[in-house]
Amino acid sequence: MIKRLFCLALGLFLIAFESAFFSFLPIDFAKPDVAVPFIVYAVFFLGPVEGLIASVLFGFSQELLSAAPAGSMLFTKIAVFLGSSFLRHHLYIESRYTFSLLSTGFVVFESIVFLALGVVAKGELRNIFNVSVYTLPAAIFTGMLSLPIYTLLQHLKIRHLEGT
Amino acid sequence: MKGTLVIITAVIALVVSFFLFTDIAFFSRGYARTKLFASDMVGPTLKVISSPVHLIGDLFDGYVNLVGVKKRNADLQRRLDALTAENQKIPELEKENNRLKGLLNLRDQKEHQMVAARVVGEDVANWFKCVIIDKGRVNGIRERMPVVTASGVVGQAVEVSKWHAKVMILNDANSAIDVYVVGKHSRGIIEGNGRNTVKMKYVLKTDDVETGDRLITSGKDSIYPKGLAVGIVINVNKNMPGLFADIDVMPFNNYKKLDEVMVVTQ
Repeated sequence: MIKRLFCLALGLFLIAFESAFFSFLPIDFAKPDVAVPFIVYAVFFLGPVEGLIASVLFGFSQELLSAAPAGSMLFTKIAVFLGSSFLRHHLYIESRYTFSLLSTGFVVFESIVFLALGVVAKGELRNIFNVSVYTLPAAIFTGMLSLPIYTLLQHLKIRHLEGT
Repeated sequence: MKGTLVIITAVIALVVSFFLFTDIAFFSRGYARTKLFASDMVGPTLKVISSPVHLIGDLFDGYVNLVGVKKRNADLQRRLDALTAENQKIPELEKENNRLKGLLNLRDQKEHQMVAARVVGEDVANWFKCVIIDKGRVNGIRERMPVVTASGVVGQAVEVSKWHAKVMILNDANSAIDVYVVGKHSRGIIEGNGRNTVKMKYVLKTDDVETGDRLITSGKDSIYPKGLAVGIVINVNKNMPGLFADIDVMPFNNYKKLDEVMVVTQ
């Protein structure tokens, strides 16, 4: 239980911290999607229920700190959850590098889902420039960030939170 | 069995979020209320988290500003001398301005009421351009209120909770502002596209718009009051098919360097 709550709390803190931190940093490209590694971790290592809770909670939190249209972040995060749940039975994460690669891939997947949602629901391609420009850098930086996240969560799991 | 149930729940949640995105009133009303309630709790949390970040930022800025301060001081002194000389002409110009205004029967524009706010956060997704300010409904901020700095327009408040508000920057792909070209009778719409520069649209190729022209709000979009500085034209391309020119504009405000802003409340 503590392990699950810690994972959620850390994710939520990082999302809020990212919002505050990037208002000070004059860079836009290097803005990772903090929620994706946590959703992937929850699905692969904590279970499907935890994965779904994480995707809804993180999607909703990101919408609170973004000018994104209502439902869009929630939709993309649940899509990431469904994608991870599908891959869970086909893929084995044996190291932090596989985890990082998977997180990178899911940021790209999420961007495609967002564009598809805009086209299908509203028939608009207004955000295509933003999404296509920022997807790759965001995916790379998310992949890099997911390395320490994975190491930290695994370390805590082994050292302190095992069996809780 | 448990896994299947979770997947079914996720698919239902996916469908609900799809309907939220399409703005169907039945779904969006309840969701907006939930968001507003949650936002009220997020505001103070964000303020607490942003305080040490801003403190470090201020310390860093302070150190950087010390470097070369002597040279900058000398430059500023020179500028001050030049401005003092220029200022001596102002009373005379003011008199002339008042006289001409009287002749044209123009009324003085009402002074705007403003609320100062500090930027405490930024959009977590880089697909959208918004900043979060530490003033909300309790401070008199409402949706669609213009947000400015001394340099010019920043954007407009789009979501306001009790303690904080989200401001959509004019660079955002969903932003549009009606503008005039200063000194010329050209009018157009400034549209964001997610980049640092924005586009000025619907300006005829026959209009006399040039690089270096300054843009101000026209006041005709019923959001921004007339006369707020918006940006400067940096590129005009008329060698393309169609009626309208392709115009790039650099906004006066760099949204990545915003610390304090003013919300025009009246």
